[in-house]
Amino acid sequence: MNYRIVLKLIGKLLLVLAAAMALPLCVALLYRETPVPFFLAIGISLLFGFVLSGIKAPGGFFAREGFVAVAAIWFVMGVFGALPFYFSGWFSSYVDCFFETVSGFTTTGASILTAIEPLPRGILFWRSFTHWLGGMGVLILALALLPKLGLRTFHLMRAESPGPTKSKLVPKLSESSKILYLIYTALTAALVLALRIAGLPLYDAAVTAFGTAGTGGFSVMNASIGAYHNPAAEIIITIFLFLFSMNFTLYFLLLSGKIRQVLKSSELRLFSFLWFAAAAVLILDIRPLYETLGETVRAAFFQVATMISTAGFATADFDLWPSTAKMVLFLLMVCGACAGSTGGGIKAGRIVIFLKSIRREVQQILHPRSVSVVKLDGHALDEGTVRTALVFLVTYIAIAFLGAVFVAQDGFSFATNITAVFSALGNIGPGLDMVGPAGNFAAFSAPSKLLLSVCMIMGRIEIFPILVLFSPRTWKVN
Amino acid sequence: MKIVIVGGGKVGYTLAAGLSAEDHDITIVDNNEDALRRAGDTLDVMCIKGNGASVATLTDAGAADADVLMAVTSQDEVNMLCCLLAKRLGAGFTIARIRDVAYSRELDVLKQGVGLDMVINPELATAVEVSRLVRFPSADNIETFCRGRVELVGFRTQKGDFLNGQPLSALTRHLQGLPVLVCAVERGEAFSIPNGSFVVEQGDMVYVIGELYGIAAFFRTLGRLTPKAKNVLMVGGGRIAHYLAEILDKLGMKVKIIEKDADRCLSLSAELPKALVLCGDGTDQELLDVENLRGVDVFLAITGHDEENLITALYARQCGVGKVIAKANRQNYAGVARAVGIDSIISPKLITANEILRVVRGMESTKGSVMSTLYRIAGGRAEATEFVAGPSTRNLGVPLKKLRLKPGILLAVIVHGNTLTIPEGNSVLTEGDSVIVIAAGGAIRDLNDIYAEGRA
Repeated sequence: MNYRIVLKLIGKLLLVLAAAMALPLCVALLYRETPVPFFLAIGISLLFGFVLSGIKAPGGFFAREGFVAVAAIWFVMGVFGALPFYFSGWFSSYVDCFFETVSGFTTTGASILTAIEPLPRGILFWRSFTHWLGGMGVLILALALLPKLGLRTFHLMRAESPGPTKSKLVPKLSESSKILYLIYTALTAALVLALRIAGLPLYDAAVTAFGTAGTGGFSVMNASIGAYHNPAAEIIITIFLFLFSMNFTLYFLLLSGKIRQVLKSSELRLFSFLWFAAAAVLILDIRPLYETLGETVRAAFFQVATMISTAGFATADFDLWPSTAKMVLFLLMVCGACAGSTGGGIKAGRIVIFLKSIRREVQQILHPRSVSVVKLDGHALDEGTVRTALVFLVTYIAIAFLGAVFVAQDGFSFATNITAVFSALGNIGPGLDMVGPAGNFAAFSAPSKLLLSVCMIMGRIEIFPILVLFSPRTWKVN
Repeated sequence: MKIVIVGGGKVGYTLAAGLSAEDHDITIVDNNEDALRRAGDTLDVMCIKGNGASVATLTDAGAADADVLMAVTSQDEVNMLCCLLAKRLGAGFTIARIRDVAYSRELDVLKQGVGLDMVINPELATAVEVSRLVRFPSADNIETFCRGRVELVGFRTQKGDFLNGQPLSALTRHLQGLPVLVCAVERGEAFSIPNGSFVVEQGDMVYVIGELYGIAAFFRTLGRLTPKAKNVLMVGGGRIAHYLAEILDKLGMKVKIIEKDADRCLSLSAELPKALVLCGDGTDQELLDVENLRGVDVFLAITGHDEENLITALYARQCGVGKVIAKANRQNYAGVARAVGIDSIISPKLITANEILRVVRGMESTKGSVMSTLYRIAGGRAEATEFVAGPSTRNLGVPLKKLRLKPGILLAVIVHGNTLTIPEGNSVLTEGDSVIVIAAGGAIRDLNDIYAEGRA
């Protein structure tokens, strides 16, 4: 382990983080709120940032350092990103601040706040802005801004971007990162504009757009999107949630005119199928709860979009819906968005691999001597990728259940425990029962909150960088 | 520039490493997943798996709008097909690695018919490089600049050399009027760009740069201009040996080739009537002694096995052969070999890669100053780079004494038109001059990079 280089990288990242905090600082000043929490947080981040990034780091940067750096950076972001919340005095403990920040950066959107509306606008802006930063990945932003890190940086990108297979858009990593952020920013800007036209105030449009773009789910309203009673905004958000849960590589292909390749993407096809099929089931199931068909359709589609994209907004308290509907929503939570999007969950791309592996297994039973490879969009996947995807699934489920056992110590209901952990691991936000859309995570004990925070980070960077931390070999100097 | 490299083996990897460090957009195409993974993990390049000779793969890799496509797989035919297709798709400049002796005789036809812009033959390039070392046995490595007009020569100082024990400034008496410059010194692990007060010691690796006749005169003063080599003994009768024997033959040297394979020996002796071809094991010391190893001027170990080459070279060195050259494709062997006293190590892969890099650099005329040649010397601890000063080069016409250069940078030679000067305080740069810069640590990619901020 080359500790120095990891520390140096953390230092650079803190500088980026400090720069990012300048934006909510401006918002706070604009609304004439006290900027002190931000000044303190920026000061501390800059101090650590400059000290650490000044470290002289000779030696190599390999896969091990890459994974450890990514894991460490997500924790560090939680620790330092929590500072504005802590100094604002609105949170009861530092653990709560950490939970809220990690929930923000990992685009989970699970909150420990029982009442959101009274908080200062600058603080709430930062809370939503963490979604936007974490959605595409702060490291990828750092790679775009600091192309001359002089490291074998592909390890970083590989560890941070979600999905079973990773590829660059263009030969240079820094260029790839820039393109991704450009697409991301453009889509976000379009969303802000659309929401503004739909009648939301600019501030609400912006923070809602951050939550949507990062597929996070923090809202500045207690009743989430439902509070605006604005059907147009709900439809806009539904559409954009779909757009943000698509693989961003597809946008690049679209921009370079390869529409056929986009339409042929088996991941996108499966994702769309799940989307519409789930919506159809929901419409049938919740029809009696609504007066008009239009309302039913809108509510069903909105809830499907927000759950499968793992944003976790709400326009209705789906905890009160019939159990088929709840079960379908839970399945969508576990499934998650497409690989290479800002969403969480297991990812539709992996589901495609699982389905194809199952088919192959059946074929193998019928024809024991048959040889077949799993193909994705015409390309043969190598066995390593398939194996990693399957191991990922097993690990994911195992961690979810172990986590649920741990959280159960707090004594809440079965549904609460299971959905809270799956919701944290899948970066969704709300679950069912106590952690449903009307509830929050405030009642959990501090150890449970920390565990859930770790689960969120695990879900965001796809488990293995965190597991790497638990291997003693990682920490050996040689 | 957008560059597509087909073939991610040693040559392809070396090319990609060199070019991506110079800020080009590189795409590597290979069939082999492992080769791609290695490249993708360690370099900032895009990797595409597939058959480089298929249109679909080439289109995927962006061959259509590539500025340069290099086909450097191990198969000549694949390389040619790659270039042919890429050219049809719209690639700007195509380079193919072609090693078959038969093809190399038909290059003109191939270049026209297949649309190759450049052909690189690793074995031939290596043979040319080796022949230069054979011609100039006192040097351990020779690099040429300005189309061969300027040479950079590295050699190890021996006991009794007049260079030893005196500061360089005191040596003007010896070097009076010679257009050469001591531009770098390597002592063990340490490397320095010497100034006037630097004292050279015995056993240092000294690099001198200058015009051809100046270098020759320098070695004459040094008493090291060994008489021209006459007898050359080669172990290994591969393609390099074939090309090399042809070249050396034209220079009037006597060549003996020891080769294991009897069939190969037959074909060699058919192709090279003047050379003496011996069928036997080159690692067999008795055979070497019988063939009068002690009497040869130059010993070459150029079999296909790096380890065998190094061991036989060591034996030859032990027997007191004046000039020993060994082939080693693995870069890390070069350091080990230096440590045991074999200073001339050649690597065909590296030579191939360097040759291609040189061409690509020459093409990059969009920048203000064209970098036309780059060599890594002293085991990669310094770079010798040739630039052509362009209109955007700063400080043209300003005497050098008024300029401040970055530390570790030496302006070694200025070639203005037909005159070559070793720069001193009053020298000036003008547009169109070729300049050779020695930079410790490297990373000079533009002539403007050599200036420290502000003027002295």
